[in-house]
Amino acid sequence: MKNSKNNTIQKRIVEFSPGKDPFEKARHKGSRNWIFSHILFKSNKFYVIIVLFTTILTSNLTSITSVLIGNAINDLYFGKTSSLVYYTIIILILSIFSPILRMVSFALREIIAHRMERDCRREFYSNLLGKSQSFHEQIQIGELMALATNDVRMLNFLISPGISLIFESFTALVIPLIYIIFFFPLQLILAPLVFAVLFLISLRSYVKKIAPISWRLRGFFGGMNTTLNETLTGIEVVKATVQEVGELEKYILNARGYRDAFIDQGKVQAKYIPFLILALTITFGLTHAISLNLILGNLLFPIGSIIGYLALLRQLRFPTQISLFVFAMVRVAITSAQRLLNLMNRETEIDENVGGISKSLEGRIKFENISFAYPGSEKPVLKNINLEVKPGQTVAIVGTTGSGKTTLTKLISRLYNLDKGRILIDNIDIRDYALKSLRSQISYIEQDVFLFSDSIFNNISFGRTASKEEIIQVAKEAQAHDFICQLPNQYDSEVGERGVQLSGGERQRIAIARAFLSDPRILVLDDSTSSIDSNTEDKIQRAIRNILKDRTTLLITHRLSQIRWADLIIVLKRGEIAAMGTHDELLSTSDEYQKIFIKKFDVDIDQIIKHKEVS
Amino acid sequence: MWVGLEAEEYDREFSDRALIKRILQYFSPYKRPMGFVVFLLTIASLSSSLIPILTTIVLNNIETNRNVVYIIFVITLTFTLNILGWVFNYFRRRKISTIIGDVVLDLRRDAGEAVLNHDLSFFDRNPIGKIVSRTNTDSRDVGQIVELSLDLVSSFFIVIFLLVIMVFMNIMLFFATLISFPLFFIIALSYRKIARRRALLGQRALASVNAYVKESFSGIQIAKTFRQEQKLYETFNEVNDTSYRVNLRRGFVFSVVWPALSMIQGLVLTLIVFLGGSRVLDGTISIGDLNLFLSGLGFLFFPLLSIASFWPVFQTGMAASERIFALIDALPLIVQNDNIKPPKLNGEIEFRNVNFRYEASKEVFQNFNLKIDSGESLAIVGHTGAGKSSLAKLLARFYEFQEGDILVDGISIKSYDLNEYRKQIGIIPQTPFLWADSLENNIKYCCKNATEEAVFNALDNSSGSDWIGDLPNGLKTYTGERGCLLSMGQRQLVVFARVLLENPSILILDEATASVDPFTETKIQDALQKTIEGRTSIIIAHRLWTVRHVDRIIVLDHGEIVEEGNHDELMAKGGTYAELYNTYFRHQSLEYIEKMKEIVENKT
Repeated sequence: MKNSKNNTIQKRIVEFSPGKDPFEKARHKGSRNWIFSHILFKSNKFYVIIVLFTTILTSNLTSITSVLIGNAINDLYFGKTSSLVYYTIIILILSIFSPILRMVSFALREIIAHRMERDCRREFYSNLLGKSQSFHEQIQIGELMALATNDVRMLNFLISPGISLIFESFTALVIPLIYIIFFFPLQLILAPLVFAVLFLISLRSYVKKIAPISWRLRGFFGGMNTTLNETLTGIEVVKATVQEVGELEKYILNARGYRDAFIDQGKVQAKYIPFLILALTITFGLTHAISLNLILGNLLFPIGSIIGYLALLRQLRFPTQISLFVFAMVRVAITSAQRLLNLMNRETEIDENVGGISKSLEGRIKFENISFAYPGSEKPVLKNINLEVKPGQTVAIVGTTGSGKTTLTKLISRLYNLDKGRILIDNIDIRDYALKSLRSQISYIEQDVFLFSDSIFNNISFGRTASKEEIIQVAKEAQAHDFICQLPNQYDSEVGERGVQLSGGERQRIAIARAFLSDPRILVLDDSTSSIDSNTEDKIQRAIRNILKDRTTLLITHRLSQIRWADLIIVLKRGEIAAMGTHDELLSTSDEYQKIFIKKFDVDIDQIIKHKEVS
Repeated sequence: MWVGLEAEEYDREFSDRALIKRILQYFSPYKRPMGFVVFLLTIASLSSSLIPILTTIVLNNIETNRNVVYIIFVITLTFTLNILGWVFNYFRRRKISTIIGDVVLDLRRDAGEAVLNHDLSFFDRNPIGKIVSRTNTDSRDVGQIVELSLDLVSSFFIVIFLLVIMVFMNIMLFFATLISFPLFFIIALSYRKIARRRALLGQRALASVNAYVKESFSGIQIAKTFRQEQKLYETFNEVNDTSYRVNLRRGFVFSVVWPALSMIQGLVLTLIVFLGGSRVLDGTISIGDLNLFLSGLGFLFFPLLSIASFWPVFQTGMAASERIFALIDALPLIVQNDNIKPPKLNGEIEFRNVNFRYEASKEVFQNFNLKIDSGESLAIVGHTGAGKSSLAKLLARFYEFQEGDILVDGISIKSYDLNEYRKQIGIIPQTPFLWADSLENNIKYCCKNATEEAVFNALDNSSGSDWIGDLPNGLKTYTGERGCLLSMGQRQLVVFARVLLENPSILILDEATASVDPFTETKIQDALQKTIEGRTSIIIAHRLWTVRHVDRIIVLDHGEIVEEGNHDELMAKGGTYAELYNTYFRHQSLEYIEKMKEIVENKT
């Protein structure tokens, strides 16, 4: 245990990586670090600098315009006719130039934001590919999808508008102050300075208040979706048991919670004090400027300066307004980043063991006194299992769900590490094999066969490129050739398209063809599909029979016929082997096994045994 | 394939007027607070628009007679107005968010109620995901546009007030200011089309990213066992890069609007500086008046910019309201014409000349007749599409039949009180559905007050309760979404217990086709045996064991009964049933299993 922990810290364990990962370190230093390393990634740095520069520049231009207007009015006041044209031209140039600059800045922002989205999604995706199977089993695909699209998209919004607006409003808060210092009597700095301080303080408390409410809103909205979704999925049950009123109540309960949070949000937003502070600041600034004008006289502090000063103060409106929502938004985006990181930083417990043994297997499997509990769980799934499987043998594993059948088979290819005991293949502990060598010789055909939305041909040849002839050959052996030929485009038919809706039995046979092509030494077949017609049953039986030949096979099955004819039957009960032997042995020794046959076929035990004698 | 881009069948076109009227109807219970909001809105806008005018007055006074007392008076007034404006707005926002919260809740309640009252044909036609997003997301969007509209109305009040003052000050500068309007609309209109198209493309690209992520992680185990991660990664990169390109272009389009509008603002500003400057030099207007025009420009552009940036939100909001009203208005097809509350039913059923079709021109039943005695157990067999489940669904009144009648205890099922009638019918669907709740609550779903003892009784009476003990928390075990933490077989046992607790007079059972492990299967057989005892049962049979144990089997073919009798009689007859046996039941027999090895090995 201690050893493996050390390993994970020294070298990150991944099952797949498409190359060097530049964000690996940053991922472990928290979301802020990670976000910044993306923002400053490669040529992004360059764009970021231009964006910062143009943003500051446009803010400057706006302030310059305000000052110019003030000066223009001063000149008008003193009757300088000639300067009007001059000011008009400058203001014209500025009002054309500054939006253009802004467009450039916005466009670059978009580039950074979308690159961020693209790169993060790629990083997330390749990271997921590198995670172990046990990881993927614990996580729901719906959640992965939500993370890969919505949460990654939030990172785009984090840049634009998010952080960009925060920076912009920061410049809009500071730059006018600088212009006031340079172009106006220093004491006029008082109003905006006081504003800046009060603004930041009240903003802090606002953000603090609004954050928990946003959480509540999101929570109840999710609750509304979940309850309604569940109710509608089970609508038949709801109607049959006349529970419409109760179900509506459940939904309304969440909707009401949402309403209350919404109203609370309204209250906090209504109380947004910076609006008031700004209005008072502008009026106070006006008073201050007017007093200066009255005291110093029109010559030293003319009326145009008052107007220019007011225009500068009005620039503060931008940060005031933006802050109402932008901080809440950034916060949400950072939570998204946090969620992505949590998943990406999860370690897997299996190491690749690159230097381990690589050899072709014979297929002898031996479980030596193994016990196992899933990581993070107290309850053992398997207890004291001892079992030996000879090369080429077919072993049927039966038992109720939860009895540990699937777990037992997954331990063979080291999807989990054992707590106690060991598993030997060809008399070598599986931990001594190189993971790649071990796994590539063990194949699984799972219960819900997954097919890619691709052609039948590509689905069969997924593991290994092969010629058309080879594909047809394995399809024939898997009893899949006949139904494939009946599809509209035969082997080129796209799975999932109209007319290519495959039944469970057909999917299973394609998976068997796929396994034929890769030819593993050890096969694990979770055969819990059922066929409702006897013809399909015949075909599946034959396909499975074909693939069992000359391989060690562990068969998790519900088919009594396969149980009946397996070389060895293992009855699992609550993680322990309750009975083991051939069909005939079990019929005479295991009550539970007997009961299946008696109940299912409505016969008594003598009849089954008699039946055997007849056949 | 692209999610959410096509219209639904219950959509209908509302005119904008009808839509707004409909939205306003939802506000009618809140007339008084709404009146208050409008009042606050008006005075808040008035006080805000007075401030630049007061500033003008001060500046004019400074320029001319410099009356300090007067100036102090006006400035004090401004301060008061600032505070008042904020206070008015505070009350307005508080009030309006309460109203909107309530209206949205009402909308959701109405939509939820409408949805739950629909018959099952509605859910066949409309995917659940879309119904959910309509009730939840669309109602939120409707609330959003109401809030936005009020903000806009407030800005418009200010603008109009200022414009009126400007007309009186200087007509020429007024027109110079007004030039911005046509310019603004030209840009907005030409922009709208492009933006819409870009946005649509962007959504599609993102949808395909989503679809690909789903695809690759659904198949991750295969990719891993065959070491094909690289293949997936490359395809993903293509899809992701496409999304990047398309969405970046969309981003560019959106980032142009704002600067373009501010360029117009800049041009108008230049115009006013020049024209206004000349007027000041003429002495036609005062500097304070000029300042009003200059600062008024900001007030003017603020609502325009808001419209520009919130236009998409606005459009989605209107579309959302249309969708949600369509959902509320769709009529359920099942209508009862009386409300007889039945006592405990005997369970005598008669189908009399029933005609039924899901869609026009596709008859499922024509002149269908069937009588089932009280307490009889009846199995229905037949090929897919023979009408087996339709029969059961009609009886449960999930769908409306077109002609004929169905009588239970001699009374048409259309005349019963729907709720009371359904309470006496127990249904076990093919795929058992469990709520994400405790096992106990799932069993007690329809009888909330049942004691733990009753629950255990129900379990014992169906299949025995010993398996409950194996679960981590016994009866309190959480079953997960749709019951996914239990096995298929266990879920079926729970549903059996649920129905037994309900103690219905008529039982409808659609046997599961998915196989469960042999241990659980024997339990299910126990459960079935006990559940059908003493009540009228209709079983859509897929198991050999079942057809052997019922009183009567009917063989359905294209909505007609072609044979009836018990298993042995029908087998002896050698007709359609014997053929069905060979197709669906043969492989479940002991003979088959015993001979399987030969069958398989001889044929290969």
